[in-house]
Amino acid sequence: MVLSTKKKKTMENRQLLDFIDKIIHEPARLNIMAHLYVIDSADFLFLMRQTGLTFGNLSAHMSKLEDAGYIQIKKEFLGKKPHTMLSLTKKGRTAFEEYRNNMKQFFNDLPT
Amino acid sequence: MTEPMNLKDIEKKAYRFTFTDGIYDLTYATLLITIAVAPILRELIGLGYILFLVIPAPLLLLLGKRYISVPRIGLVKFNQRRKTTQKKIAIISIILLPLTIVLVLLTAAQIFPGPYGTLLGGYTVPIGAALFAIALLSLIAYFIEFSHLYVYGLAIGLGILISELLYDPVAPPWNSVIAFGISGTLLFIYGIIELVRFIRTYPLPKAENGIVN
Repeated sequence: MVLSTKKKKTMENRQLLDFIDKIIHEPARLNIMAHLYVIDSADFLFLMRQTGLTFGNLSAHMSKLEDAGYIQIKKEFLGKKPHTMLSLTKKGRTAFEEYRNNMKQFFNDLPT
Repeated sequence: MTEPMNLKDIEKKAYRFTFTDGIYDLTYATLLITIAVAPILRELIGLGYILFLVIPAPLLLLLGKRYISVPRIGLVKFNQRRKTTQKKIAIISIILLPLTIVLVLLTAAQIFPGPYGTLLGGYTVPIGAALFAIALLSLIAYFIEFSHLYVYGLAIGLGILISELLYDPVAPPWNSVIAFGISGTLLFIYGIIELVRFIRTYPLPKAENGIVN
């Protein structure tokens, strides 16, 4: 099958972008993943303060990350007060590392 | 546009964020102030003064973190690197504590006088104790990356020395009150300013925002 030049280019672009994990690539989620990557766990409020996101925003992104299996939510108690602690799953850590390596490679391969 | 940050910077920023409440400053200030008034308390309540030395500062830290800091900035657990550092500090403290006790007992038994006691105008022990306090707290400051500890170390070290220097001109217990009280009070004021700034910057989250945590 002979493809037109336009179709060939579209296919090449799609292959180029295939390696980007679109769940992580969104700036707010990248921010959340980066913060969770460098710590063990944190509660909602700490992440809000660190990322600068609003409650609603953070909540929506957390849901997406949880659906993707990248973060886990655990309820812990500090005295009698419950704290919802968020942390990256093993899958999330691997995905973040892969994303990081892929992006590094992508920019390293760019012609100077 | 905000500055680009790498993962190391993100972790450092998150870590230093937990020190912005001023509570550590207030804790060390309380410790200095209790050391300052310890001779007076000893006169008033006898050996019970030791309770006033060991309880207020850690209690302030615990309660301050639980009821002021965590409700405003949340809770975080740092990863293995920070936990390893805390273990190192614990090991250093465990090794140095019996050494400190031995030094104190030797001083009380007047082992140091003789050629050593006359060195440095008879101030060998206070200079040694001052340097020890400065070195220990500087080491801890280096490991936990909390620069205020360098200042606390200096405050305690200089306090020991000044207290000894003031022993003759100013009758005890006032030498101790001056030596530790001034630095303790200054640090306390600084801690209060930091705390007020912290409370204003990070008010308690409103329940209607859904932040139950």
